[in-house]
Amino acid sequence: MWLELIIRLLLSPYIFAPLIYPGLVTVLVILLTLIWLERKFAAKVQLRYGPLYVAKHIGGAPQLLADAIRFMFQEVIVPRDADKVPFLLAPVLAMSFGILPIVFIPAAPGFAGILINYSLPAALALSAFMPITIILMAWSANNKFTIHGGVREAFVTIAYEIALFVSALSMSMLYGSLSLQDIVEKQALVPGILLNPLAAFTFFVAMLMSAGKLPFDIAEGEQEIVAGPYTEYTGILYGLVMGAGYVQLYVASLIFTELFLGGWHPFFEALGELYPPLGGIALFLKTYLVLAFAVFLRCVYGRYRIDHALRIGWRRLIPLSILALLLSLGLRFVGVMV
Amino acid sequence: MSLLSSFLEHLEAIGTGLKYLFFSKRMTVRYPEVVIELRPGYRGMIRWHKERCICCSMCARICPAAAIRMYRIPGEKKMRPGINYQRCIFCGFCVDICPTDALEYTTTHDVAFEKLEDMVYPPDKFDREWVSPALEEGARKLKVEFDEEWGLKHVPE
Repeated sequence: MWLELIIRLLLSPYIFAPLIYPGLVTVLVILLTLIWLERKFAAKVQLRYGPLYVAKHIGGAPQLLADAIRFMFQEVIVPRDADKVPFLLAPVLAMSFGILPIVFIPAAPGFAGILINYSLPAALALSAFMPITIILMAWSANNKFTIHGGVREAFVTIAYEIALFVSALSMSMLYGSLSLQDIVEKQALVPGILLNPLAAFTFFVAMLMSAGKLPFDIAEGEQEIVAGPYTEYTGILYGLVMGAGYVQLYVASLIFTELFLGGWHPFFEALGELYPPLGGIALFLKTYLVLAFAVFLRCVYGRYRIDHALRIGWRRLIPLSILALLLSLGLRFVGVMV
Repeated sequence: MSLLSSFLEHLEAIGTGLKYLFFSKRMTVRYPEVVIELRPGYRGMIRWHKERCICCSMCARICPAAAIRMYRIPGEKKMRPGINYQRCIFCGFCVDICPTDALEYTTTHDVAFEKLEDMVYPPDKFDREWVSPALEEGARKLKVEFDEEWGLKHVPE
C-alpha cells in the first residue's frame, strides 16, 4: 500500500516532470552526453579522434563523468578581492534559473510540473533571468577579464532577447494561444517551421546567442579574455557555470521543438496511453537532434566579433522577427489557422 | 539581396562541415594500439655502435648542449662517448659529424623515464638497441601515404 502510494506520487506529473523527464535527470543525461558529443563532432570534423582513453571500446563516452568527478575533488578558490557571497551564490542561481523554466514546459499533453495557460511567456521569462546571474558573477569576481565578459554579456543580451521573444510570440499569435500545450496540439498535421520558417530561423539564431554557444560565445571569449565571467571559478563551481549554458540551450531547444517541430506529435497515441511521458520520446529525440545541430555549429564557425554580433542582433534578427510577426498575422488573416 | 546570398553561403559552410563530419578519414591514430611508422631520416633517440667507434671524440666536441661526454672505461686506454638525454636537444650534429657512422638515428621516440638518473647513458648502455614500448606491447604498424582524394592515408604495412 505504501509502495503503491509512493509509486503513484513519483509518477504524478507534479513530481515526475520536474524530477525525471523533462526535468533534472534528463538534464543530467543531456549534460553528460551532449558535451561528449560536441567534442566528438569537433574531433571528427578536424580529422581527429576526440576523447577516447576513458573507455576505449565505447569511444570515451564516460569522459564527462570523469571530468565531473575531477571537478568535485578540485579545490574551490575564492579570490581575495571577490565579493564572496554573490561570487559563491551566482553559479547556483545560474543553474537554478537554467533549470526552472522546465516546470512550465509540458512533455506530453497535460503533463507538466505547473500547468498554466501562459506557459510560453512564463518559461521564456524565467530563462531570461540567466544573463543577470552571469553579470552578477562577473561583477562579484572583481577581475578585469570577468568585468569585460559581463559587459559583453549585457550587450549581447539586449541584442538577442527582443528577437527571441518576438519570434516566439509570433508563433503564439499564429496559433492564437500562449500555452505551449495548445500550440503543440495545433501542429498535429503541419509543423510550425513550414508555416513560419522566418520565425524558426530567428528563434534558432537568438537561441544560440542566448546560450552563448559558438559562433556567439562572445561573453566567454576564450581567445581574448580567458573565460569571460567564468575566469575565477574553479572546481564544482566551474562545472556549474559551464553546465548552465548547456541547460539553457536545452530549455531553448525544448521550446524550439514545441513551437516549430510539432513537439510530441508523431507517435504519441500508441505509447501515450500506457503512460503519458512515454509519448514524449518523440519530443526528446527531436530536442536532442536540435541540440546536436546547435553544438555541431562549433566546428563550422569561428567566433563573431562583438560588434558583428550586435549588428546581427539589431539590424538582422529584430527586423526579421518583426517580419515573422507580420507573416503570422497574414497567415491568420487568410485563415490558415483558426 | 545580400541577405539571401549570405544566408546561402552560411548553408554552404554548414554543408561543408557536415561533409567532413560524415565522410572524412581521420589523420590521427589510436596511439598505443596503432603506431605510425616513421621515415628513416627521423631524428629519434640516438644509438651508438661500439665496434665502429674510433674514439675521435668529435661528437662530444660538436654537441651544442654538452649532452655527449667522453667516459673513461676501466681497462681501456681510449675514452668512449656516453649521452645524457636530460640535455640532448636532438639536433643530430653528433650523427652528422661522426666519421665512421658509429652514431645513428633510430625512429624510436616514445620512451619514458621514471627517474632523472635513468636518462644518463654511459657507453655500456649507449650501445644498445632502442625498443618502442608501444611496439613491445604488440602495436599495429601503419605507414603514411599520400592520397589523391584525402591528402594523407594510412595503410598497413
